Formats: sequence, C-alpha cells, structure tokens
Amino acid sequence: MVDLKLKIEFGGGLELLFSNRRTHFVDIPSTKQQGDREGEPVDMDFLIHWLRSNSLKERPELFVENETLRPGILVLVNDIDWELEGEGDYRLKDGDEIVFISTLHGG
Amino acid sequence: MSDLCGNPAAEAGEALIPRKRKFDRSKICVKCKTNPGNLVIRHSVYCRDCFTSLITAKFRQALEPHINHASTGPRRGALNPSGGLLVAFSGGSGSSVLLDLVHRTYCTNVGSDELKGGREHPRKDRVWKRIHVCYVETSDVFPETSDRTARMREAVARYEGCEFIPLRVQDAFDRSWWERVSGDLSVLPVDLCRGEPVPIDALKAHLRALPTATAVLYTLSTLTRLLLLYTAYSIGASHLVLGTSLTSLSISLISSISQGGGFVVPQAIQEEWIPPFIKRIPGATSWSGEVRLIRPLRDVGMKECTAWVWWHQLWVVGKQRIPISEKTIGKITNDFIIGLERDYLSTVSTVVKTVGKLAPKGKPGLRCVLCELPTQQSAQGWKARTSIHAFEDAASPEDVPTPLLAFLCYPCHTTLTSKSSRSSKSRNLKSSSPTSEPSSTLNLPTWGAARLACGIGDEESTSSSANEIWVTKKLDTDLMKSLVGEFMLDER
Repeated sequence: MVDLKLKIEFGGGLELLFSNRRTHFVDIPSTKQQGDREGEPVDMDFLIHWLRSNSLKERPELFVENETLRPGILVLVNDIDWELEGEGDYRLKDGDEIVFISTLHGG
Repeated sequence: MSDLCGNPAAEAGEALIPRKRKFDRSKICVKCKTNPGNLVIRHSVYCRDCFTSLITAKFRQALEPHINHASTGPRRGALNPSGGLLVAFSGGSGSSVLLDLVHRTYCTNVGSDELKGGREHPRKDRVWKRIHVCYVETSDVFPETSDRTARMREAVARYEGCEFIPLRVQDAFDRSWWERVSGDLSVLPVDLCRGEPVPIDALKAHLRALPTATAVLYTLSTLTRLLLLYTAYSIGASHLVLGTSLTSLSISLISSISQGGGFVVPQAIQEEWIPPFIKRIPGATSWSGEVRLIRPLRDVGMKECTAWVWWHQLWVVGKQRIPISEKTIGKITNDFIIGLERDYLSTVSTVVKTVGKLAPKGKPGLRCVLCELPTQQSAQGWKARTSIHAFEDAASPEDVPTPLLAFLCYPCHTTLTSKSSRSSKSRNLKSSSPTSEPSSTLNLPTWGAARLACGIGDEESTSSSANEIWVTKKLDTDLMKSLVGEFMLDER
C-alpha cells in the first residue's frame, strides 16, 4: 500500500487545535482501509476524519460538526477553494497542499 | 398489492436530494474569463487577480461616496474629506483586511504612475492627510485574558504612515480621558462625597450591576463604539471606519434587533455622530466636527476576508475569546447564521439587504445617555404596558421607574433591567441622577454623567417632548376601578 504525502496548513486560530503548529506534513494511506467503501481512493472527507483521529489535540467540536467540517472553515486545495473541487468528494493526490482556515476570527 | 402500496423510499433506501453545486456554470473566472477560478463567492467563481480587484472595488464603492461632507459622487479625483481618518482595529481578520485596504488604497498607491492623470492630477494627492488606528483593550475586565496592546501596536507598525492610538475600555469612566476628548466643552460634576472613582472599579461596578452576559457584551460594545467616536472627534477625524464584514454585520443586525435595537437599525449600518455638546447649525453645509461611522467591508463576506488574509499574507493577531461569550444572544445568533450560510449561500447578504430596507416608525426623540443613539419617543410608555412583571417585583416599591429611564433607549433600558435567572439577585435600575443617594446610583460612563450634569437637552432634537419627563406609576385598585368603571359590565 502506497502512502500519500500531503502538506496541511492551519490558520485563523485552527492551529491552536493542532499542537499550535501551522504546518503539518502527513502520510496517509492512498485507499480506504475499512467500511463500506474499503479500497476506494481517499478523499477530503477521509482526510478530515483522519486529521481528527490522528492530529487533533483538543476541542474536536471546533473542527468537525455532524461528521463533517464545521461551518465557517475555508478550505483551499492547492490554492483553490474546495467548493470548486467537489468539497468532501475531492480525491486526494500525492503532494497535495490543503489549507484549513477558520473564518470566524473576528471583525 | 404489495407492489402498489409499498413505500418506494424505504425500499430504495434513504431518498436524498442531490447536493446542489455551489458555483454557477464553469470553473473559469467570471470576470477575466480566461484564468481558472480560485474562489467561489456566492455562486460566482473568481481567480486570485480578479478577486483582489473585486474586493478593492467593493471597499471603495462602500467608502468613497461618503468621504466628502456633501456627496458629489464616487469620483476619486474629487475626494476631499473634511478631517482625518480613524481606523478601528480589533486584531481580527475584518479589521486587519480593512487596515490593509486603507493602506494600499490611500497610502501605497498615492502618486503611482499606474493611476490615470498627470503628475499634478488631484487623483494623485493623498486623500487622507492623517490616518490613525485605534485599539480598545478589554483585558482588565476579564482576568483570564491577556493584554494584547503591544501585539496590536506591532501589527499596526507594519503599515507605514499610520499612527497607533491605544485605549482601554475603562477610559469610558476616566475623567482625564473625558477632559482630553471633550476639552472645556463639557464638564463632569465632582462628587465630593465619594471622591474620584478608579476607572476600572467604576467599570466593573457598572458591569456587575448588569443582569445577563448578553448585557455585559452589549455594554462593552457600546462603550467601545463611543470611545472610538469621541477619540475620532478629539483628533479631528471626520471618518471612523470599522472592519465589520457582511457576515459580522448580518449577525450583529439580527442580534441587535433581538435585543430591542430595531429603532436604530439605520445607525447599525452607517451613522453620522456628533458630540451632544456641539451645537449643530440647522441647514449648515460646512463640517462642524461630525464623525461619519462607515463599514467599508459591509459587502465583503468573512470568507473573502479570510481569503484576502491568506493570499496577501497579512498578520492577524486574532480575536481574544471572551469567557462569558458562549451564553449570549450574539453567540447563538452567530452559530445560527453561520450554520445557515453553509447550505444557503446568500443568507448573510439577504439579511443585510432586507434589514437595510427597514425604516423605523416615528420620529427620533432624545439621544440615549448611554449609547447616544436616538431613542424612540414614548418607548418607555410602551414598554411599561407590555413588560411582564413577576408578582414579587410588582409588589416591590423599588420597581418604580425613575427619571433616568426617560433618557435611555429601549435596548439600553432592556440591557440594564432584563430578567434572567440572575436578575432576582441583581439590583433594579435606580436613579442615576447626580442628586440621588450614592448607594442607589448606577455608574455612568463619562459622556452620560456629563450630559446629566449639564442638563439633558439634546441639540438635535426638535421634539416637543424633549424637555418632558415621563414617569409611570402603579395605580392602586380603587383609582383603577374609578377610571375604567364606566366601561365595566354590570354583574347582574
């Protein structure tokens, strides 16, 4: 099984939930290992759950809500709004750069 | 039979409506129509370059028509503000984007050859001769939070030509601050019995007297707004700009209306303010010290602000989490609007556009002594008729409204007296008249105390009731019966 190497960045205060580090380099499996969709290529939904299980240190409710990303977090996939890439259905590729920024850090 | 009566949804599993795409047409930028898009803004796709010019244009469209004292249109060459500019800075993404846009538009590009016109063209002059940036620190109120003034100063120092003004929220109760901003025009009374209170103690006493966490945050917001306005006046600024984004504005509008601020909805979007001690000449066309409070990012959502911060690599200090904010109307409204915005992308824009069409009924009365926004005439009488009273409160002689209530707007009155689980322990609003007993007075911010000391008259008000004081009294049963007796049905 080949791992995907991803660069993950957090901003807008989200880094506080992830060991107070803005940049993380992670290796994740290239295919889903369990569940109904075992063997399928991993996508953004998988990454969000993987981050919650493996990197998130505190207050998961500020990152995930109802099994999906909490409203008010801007996600860029290789500098492109994830809404253009299919949001949670975007299939991750090796070398992708994913940015999560909380938009709720004040006016 | 089973084929005819079966439940197709149950048999085919859960029937889901396919999720709608969040952008129209293609992934190509709708503006330049050549570059691949980077960001979706309310169904439209923009590339990074077009995004930058779009936000700059929205910022200028919201600000520039209001720069001249008498509006002459949006042409930049004709921009001629009466005074300086004060930027309100909280360290959040909205105010960071605002400061960046102000600096890019009115400092960095000044004299640039990219601008049209000759070397002497007025377009190449500095629109604002002086730009100040003001930060109001609230950490003294909440011991769990840290003082961030130094970090704010550092953030502002990155923008050349901007002067930093640090304030503390307790300055609202500080006589020396009041003397600085008002000059000799408005004198505070000296309380010989109690001496000069320490500002932070006076502020804490004021906040302790408030019945709910919502009231505390409302009051801090009001104090901050007036500190900024008086500071703008004192430095000769004709404009005060706030980094309220479209998202923040929609949340604050809904939250404000739910707290009784419906009458001042127009001022919640844009406001023209002048200290009460300045006489405004009716019909005068020249500037006499008014401060125009503008929100130039009111058409820019929080998503766009965040993208601007990321792509322009701004340093955002971030907002400090206030411990009591979790249980407030503002937080509940925030969660509701943000949740709704996820599935209905035009929520915040619809809220602001709809609220922007509202016009309050009736003429404004006096300005409130606390928030200095217009009060609704006879609002107290209306409130007295519709308020719900508990029996123990009704029986209490302390609940009789006092003269101060006539000079409070509806939301400030509600803030001071609203019921909650804590309110039975807290004090009811008593007179804050300078002649009242010290133990029963409510600490007022300096501007309120000065207005009460100098007489409550409001120069702007043309209302015939400007000098009237309305007092409501609980009638005894016999008097009430005699008043309504002729309308009573005979028991037989």
